[in-house]
Order: sequence, then C-alpha cells, then structure tokens
Amino acid sequence: MKFNDLLKKLISKPESKEVAKKRLKFALVYDKLEVTDNMLDNLQKELLEVISRYFEIDRSSMNLDIQRSDEYSALVFNTPILSAKRQQQGTSAA
Amino acid sequence: MEGKVIVMTSGKGGVGKTTVTASLGAALALQGKRVAIVDMDIGLRNLDVVMGLENRIVFNVVDIIQGRCKLKQAAIKDRRIDNLFLIPASQSDDKDVIKPENMVWLTNKLRKEFDFTLLDCPAGIEHGFKNSIAAADEAVVICTPDVSSVRDADRVIGLLYARSITPKLVVNRIVPKMVESGDMLSHEDIIDVLSIDLVGLVEMDDQVVVSSNTGTPLVSNKESKAGMAFQRIAMRLDGHPDLPVENPMAQKGFWKKIGKKLSRKNKDDK
Repeated sequence: MKFNDLLKKLISKPESKEVAKKRLKFALVYDKLEVTDNMLDNLQKELLEVISRYFEIDRSSMNLDIQRSDEYSALVFNTPILSAKRQQQGTSAA
Repeated sequence: MEGKVIVMTSGKGGVGKTTVTASLGAALALQGKRVAIVDMDIGLRNLDVVMGLENRIVFNVVDIIQGRCKLKQAAIKDRRIDNLFLIPASQSDDKDVIKPENMVWLTNKLRKEFDFTLLDCPAGIEHGFKNSIAAADEAVVICTPDVSSVRDADRVIGLLYARSITPKLVVNRIVPKMVESGDMLSHEDIIDVLSIDLVGLVEMDDQVVVSSNTGTPLVSNKESKAGMAFQRIAMRLDGHPDLPVENPMAQKGFWKKIGKKLSRKNKDDK
C-alpha cells in the first residue's frame, strides 16, 4: 500500500490539483493587475508633471507600460532626460 | 429584534446557488426561525420550482416594489415546512426594473417580519447582484472546487469587501475521492487562495437532483449527506458559528476499513 503510493508519486505526472492551484493563483494576480487605458494615461500625465519639475525630458519618446512575466509584474517608465533643472537650494519643487 | 438579510452569491452560474439557498432556508425554518427567501433573478425565476411552489404564485417581488400588492400577499408559504416563505421573481419584467434603493426599502420591511431573509442572487455581477448586495447585512459565497468558479468567487468577494461585507464561503459539490487522489482542489487549497472564512463543505450528492425533481426539501431527507451539511451550515449562521466544519471523506471499501483498523491496532500494540 505505502509502496504503491510511493511508486505512483515517482512515476505519474504531478497531481492535477496542484496545476489547478498554480493556474488559479496566477489568474487572480493577473485579474488584480488589470488596469484601464484611461488609468495608465492619467498615471503618465501625473508622472510627467512630477518629473518635469526636476528634469527637462523628451516628451515624445517616453513610454509607460506594465510588463508581466511568470514571476513578477513591473511598471516600466522609460524617458530620455535632456537636462536637469537647476533649482535654488532650499526651495521645494512645489 | 430585527432580522438578518443574507445575500447568497457566487459570480459564476451553475455552482448550485439556488439549491444551497433553498436548503439553507428550509434548514433555518426547521430550526424554528421565520425565513423568507427572495428570488432575485428577475426574468429567469428558478427557486419556485426547486422549492415545489411553482403553481402557487400570484404576485412577485416586482409587484411588491411597484405597490400592486402587500408583502404578505406575495410571500408564498411552504406547504411542508412552517415559517418558510418564498417571494418569487417576476418572469415577465426586464431585469433593470428593480433599483438598489427599492431593495433597501423591501429588506427594511422584511427585517421586521422575518428572522432571516435570504436573497438568491442571479449569476454575474450586474443588476441583480448590485441590487442584492445593496440590501444585505451578510453574505455567503458559494463555489465549487474548480478553477473558474474559484476565480469568480474571488471577484465577488472583492466586490463585497468594497461594500464592507465580510463574506463566508460554502464549497459545494466536493468529490472526496478525487480530493484524496489529488485530482480536485481541497477546501484548504481554496481557502489558501481566497483567504476567506469557511462556513461549510458540501459533497456531491445525487439526492440533490432527486429532491429538485420532486420539489421536496433536501434537508428533510436524512439519507442526504448534502442535506445534513446544509443543516449544520444553517446552525453556524444561526448563532453557532463555532460548530466544527466536517470534512467530507471518501467511503472506504469494506476490506480497506478492516485493514485500517488492524494496522491501527498493530500500532497501538507497539
């Protein structure tokens, strides 16, 4: 009996419920990361606002994207910097 | 004291929501509570046939809301179980005829008349769902041990949390044999994924089909394992939250049982 179980585990494919659980977990993570284009646009606008207080950037070649792989999801914001803005010491950006 | 309004929901259709609702309603009524079950699936009513009350409908939930009848006129009394009432859905109206504020008004009336009001929510997260959760104090989420059902349950749980309702989970249609062989998600797996409190486990039971064929309550059938599970869930909802949740086990064959007993004895001897 015990031996049979061991043999089964060694020979057979992984339990199908383990596959189900893994797929489910990924699906839920992905579902929660789903964002509308509108939301990404707004995020981009606000990011631009903040960054351009400190840097001169090339607005035409910047891009914002969500990249997903099996292990992680990342928000990728790419923008060429033209120059830093010189600020007087002690003044806040606002 | 005012009664409780509990929404029964699943997101995905076909997981046994209507059976669970009818059975829990019957079980609560058998425990001596006054219970109203409201069919919220406007245009596609189902609960009436499951409960065997289909030929006694005169008025429906839309009639109450639109003032064509009194609450008491639309509530159909169950023939077999005292204190159990059904408020049927309308079959002819559009599903957007009811608005969330109508349901708040209706459930305020129901809370005064009944200890428990169960809202049988239609599948999906549209009108019927929004109407039902707008009026509910508590929620029971029903899922089966498969990927699509658990995923939809997760979505529904999120929407309930957004309304500050902390739902409880019923896992329906468990096949213990498949769970033991590793071919079906166990309730531990499901809870691990959903992080939600469990209120009951119900195993797959042929008696569910038999009882809906005849329109008789599953919980009065002592042979039905599902029926017994529903009775225990009803007790947990009705003031006994700590009643342990029984895990459905596969029936062992005669020789296996003997074998197990023997091996246990051997262990004891050592």
